[in-house]
Amino acid sequence: MTSQTQLLDRPLPAEIDTVADLEAYLNAALRLEHATIPPYLTALYSLHPGTNSDARHVIRVVAVEEMLHLTLVANVMNAIGRRVDLTADDFVPAYPAHLPSGETDFLVSVQPFSPAAVTTFLNIERPAKAPSEGRRLLPYSDDLGAGTVLAASPLNPGVRFYSIGEFYAEIDRGLRHLDHEYRQRGEELFSGDPAWQVTEEYFYSGGGEVVPVTDLASALRALTLIAEQGEGLGGGIYDGEGELSHYYRFEQIQLARYYQKGDVAARPSGPRLDVDFSAVYPVAIDTELADYPAGTPAFEAAETFSRTYADFLAYLTAAYHGQPHQLLDAVAWMFRLRDDMNRLIRNPFPGRPGVHASPVFGRGPLERS
Amino acid sequence: MSLDDFVAFSSEVTGFTEFDLLGTGQAQSYRDTVAGVVGEQGLAELLSAYRREVTELSDEQLRAEQLTRSVLGDPRLGPLARNIIKLWYCGVWFGLPGHEDTFTASPQAYPQGLLWYAIGANPPGARAPGYGSWAGPPRIPALPASPIPRSLTRNPSAG
Amino acid sequence: MIFPEGASARTSPAAVAGRVYDVVIVGAGIAGAVIADRLSREGRSVLVLEAAPAEDLTIKGYEAYLTDFYAAASKDNQSPYPVIEPVPMPRSTDARPIRPGGPNTNGYLVQNGPHSTDTTYTRVLGGTTMHWEGKILRMLPQDFELAEQRGQGPKWPLGYADLEPFYREAEREIGVSADIEDQRYLGLTYPPNYVFPMRGLPPSYLDQMVARGVDGTRVELDGEEFSLKVRPFPQGRNGIPNPAYDAGRGFVPVGAVSTSQVDEGERCQGNNNCVPLCPVQAKYHAGKTLAKALDRNVDLLAQSVAYQVHTDPETGRVTQIEYRHYHDPNSAEYQTGFARGRTYVLATNAIENARLMLASGLQSRSDLVGRNLMDHAYLLTWALLPEIAGTMRGTNCTSGIVDLRGGRFRRDQASFSIDIHNDGWGWPTGAPVSDLVRIVDQNTYGFDLRRSLVDQVSRQLLFAHMIEVLAEPENRVTVDPRYRDRLGNMRPVISFRVPDYTMRGAAFARRLSRQLFERLGAQDHTSYDPSEYGYVEFEGEGYRILGGNHLAGTHIMGTSPGTSVVDDNQRSWEHENLYLVGGGSMPTIGTANTTVTATALCLRTARHLLHELRHQDQPVALATH
Repeated sequence: MTSQTQLLDRPLPAEIDTVADLEAYLNAALRLEHATIPPYLTALYSLHPGTNSDARHVIRVVAVEEMLHLTLVANVMNAIGRRVDLTADDFVPAYPAHLPSGETDFLVSVQPFSPAAVTTFLNIERPAKAPSEGRRLLPYSDDLGAGTVLAASPLNPGVRFYSIGEFYAEIDRGLRHLDHEYRQRGEELFSGDPAWQVTEEYFYSGGGEVVPVTDLASALRALTLIAEQGEGLGGGIYDGEGELSHYYRFEQIQLARYYQKGDVAARPSGPRLDVDFSAVYPVAIDTELADYPAGTPAFEAAETFSRTYADFLAYLTAAYHGQPHQLLDAVAWMFRLRDDMNRLIRNPFPGRPGVHASPVFGRGPLERS
Repeated sequence: MSLDDFVAFSSEVTGFTEFDLLGTGQAQSYRDTVAGVVGEQGLAELLSAYRREVTELSDEQLRAEQLTRSVLGDPRLGPLARNIIKLWYCGVWFGLPGHEDTFTASPQAYPQGLLWYAIGANPPGARAPGYGSWAGPPRIPALPASPIPRSLTRNPSAG
Repeated sequence: MIFPEGASARTSPAAVAGRVYDVVIVGAGIAGAVIADRLSREGRSVLVLEAAPAEDLTIKGYEAYLTDFYAAASKDNQSPYPVIEPVPMPRSTDARPIRPGGPNTNGYLVQNGPHSTDTTYTRVLGGTTMHWEGKILRMLPQDFELAEQRGQGPKWPLGYADLEPFYREAEREIGVSADIEDQRYLGLTYPPNYVFPMRGLPPSYLDQMVARGVDGTRVELDGEEFSLKVRPFPQGRNGIPNPAYDAGRGFVPVGAVSTSQVDEGERCQGNNNCVPLCPVQAKYHAGKTLAKALDRNVDLLAQSVAYQVHTDPETGRVTQIEYRHYHDPNSAEYQTGFARGRTYVLATNAIENARLMLASGLQSRSDLVGRNLMDHAYLLTWALLPEIAGTMRGTNCTSGIVDLRGGRFRRDQASFSIDIHNDGWGWPTGAPVSDLVRIVDQNTYGFDLRRSLVDQVSRQLLFAHMIEVLAEPENRVTVDPRYRDRLGNMRPVISFRVPDYTMRGAAFARRLSRQLFERLGAQDHTSYDPSEYGYVEFEGEGYRILGGNHLAGTHIMGTSPGTSVVDDNQRSWEHENLYLVGGGSMPTIGTANTTVTATALCLRTARHLLHELRHQDQPVALATH
């Protein structure tokens, strides 16, 4: 359906018309991929140590692969010679953030591990294809409040995509369209410095391999990997590399059983999986720095964490800006952030009995003063 | 004696803030471990002596002398106080005369040992620092601004 | 790595009784695992008998080891592994000085002395690779020619060149991280363009500090001059895959084993806990190989301790293996079972292989079964560096000094390799917990305590000298019906004396470390307590020699039945269908941790076995065509 020749004959209605449009979309994609990391990490570290081994491993792997997705989008951005910037004021969303899931959208919160959190994770990763071309882009109907709207059209603030899948399909179309147009003009869309590409050597994820992007084929491969790791390949539960996709990884928690090779959706037949929702620190939900009473150690720790997280994003930005070897240290950064988050999460939230402190993810200079 | 009293005392003798101590997730478990071995009475005696002899002093030098003399130097309280320090630092309760058993407070105590945190390392087998991080110098955390537990210096009634 | 669900319980003593396997293997450690894996690749039926309990390998089962390790007050190298009545194992905490008048029967090993060893091996699924450090050096070409070149040790029936392809195969199986340019010294050669599967692990901050002081130090020995250099060790743990490996095909690291997808352990995280347990399974363990093998025609029968090897008195051929199967790990009750195959492989380890043969009454005519017991002699020296070295970070050991692994001096004294230990003085002194206890007991508390710990722990330097031990017939494993375990198996009785050849190497190592400490400006804190086990006096000076868990030599290979127990394929000279495999077959151990050489030998044996089985099948195969 979306092969390049067909596109030539009868172009699908694509919003992306210029490289600036594409850049806007890729920036939105970076925000989208990143936006899932704080909720996953918070749920992960809210688990009491020594408990919930099954859930811990499931969430950990997905969180690491979201870092991979961020890197894949960065590779596409660098391949077209545009700059990756994770330090913009609005890069980290305001939670709860809005994400599309078909006809309705839903809210993503930074919250402790719970049945509600698992439902949110399933929503994030749920495969969803628009029923018709006309439903790909939907107008917003609700009052959206203060939360960031993810997977919206960066070109038209009044509409959002039917699903994350459709959002990426738009980038796919745009890439094909622009590549074709550039070729016709005798120009090269993928003119970025190949040395800026993050290769396998520099980025390690437990699951899929990072794809260096140098042309249309590799760009589409990178985007396909993101989609497949999230929702599976062609309606199946595994991605093209034989890894269980995120949606089905999380579904295992709901169904209390592991998938194994040969299984079909909703019918896992592997070993049992145990969950203990009570062995969780009840961390505060969608915390802002302003929620912490000033002058308390928890406030100071949350502020420090927030700053460290912003520094981490700046560090990643530098790595994506022609210093891919710096990504080797990203794992050590993540582990230091893990220790900081754990320290925070095990402390009570000042003045809120029964609630534990929760990390605030730094949002650039605004919160740094 | 409340958990807060135990943590305040622990903060001063370990050299870590109360926030750091609570951040291990082990405070209640350690308090219960100590009380389990020496009894609520034994623990209360130690914490009362600390409160009575030390907490009111604001001069750091005087405070240190008094803590050494009245708590660590006390033949009954000293071994208990030292054991509490060791517990926070490596998760192990060491046998004392009359309570010979040496044991780890809980499996999750060891990974939270402050000993390794203090030297910018990880307890072997826990809190991994990440591939290749060992090639650089250790990141030894800075000492807190003051050795005096924060709950004793700021609005103590709010505790 | 997916472990096939249910594979650990696929068979039973009753089912086994009715079958004749192509090959029966005793022991599910690395030796047994690689042979089972290679045989099963060609469709051979294999039974693996394992003494320890075995459930399906899962991440949760593995984490139970970790939890037990966390909970253990004494964190010795066996602390994660359950002690069960039917399958006792040696533990360093059982070692005691041996007093005149009788052996030390305190632990599983009965120790006659005169030397008391704290050597261990781990009797769990996966064997001692569960707790091994994973430092993985090949033996030097000259190690295979020590007898010819220096007149020391028994002769090998094969050389480095014969084993080289199998070293490479072992390095693939285990997943070795090293940079090839660091590993070309003292005649170590590789085929053109060979690289290790993964890049070398970065040297620790401590290594780099030591290198600044040590590199270029000149040492004269037996008229030869050596220049010392701190050099990274090859590691049996996952690092960054080398894209140039396998002619550019690269390498995919094998991570944690479980019945479900876990995606963990594909890269070392620096837990500094290689021994006794890598928490993320970035370090190789034999379970990774077993998981592959059990997905094929391999049966695993656990809780089955080999009791006796039965042979045909006429032909010497093994007819069956009698084992004792226990139902309850907390009880010594058992039922007797028999396992039959066309061929048998004993893959327990050097001590247990010899023990089983001798308990079965199968001493060879050469009287060499159990003799020539070897283990590396470890001499530790320790000092405090002048500045913060960040000790206690990294893998247990990332670099060392290997320049004295070879040379003319080996005609007189043992070679050795020096490990720089990233875990400080932990081995000899129990640091850093012992430091904590000492400092707190001086009433040091609060900020002073924190400062003192940094000052006294982060500057620690430990050199562990891994010193060669040669085969000596009187160093041996025997059995004695008076000493049995709860299942009725005779326990290994160990007689061991540290050879003077080794002690000359130790004395030299001690002198050298004094010199190196001086160059580093480090304060020597080494002391050896005569009241502790392992204490050895030599030429007026005291040393402490510790075990290396590199057991070898109890069924050495050679070219004739009069001078060896097995041939170059590890096949028993006297029992045509019996193979004794592993470190026990090695006539010398040089200064290389034994695992990679033992594994290479087993891979070579597997190739031979496949050939033998095909050969045996031939008439049948022809008839069916």
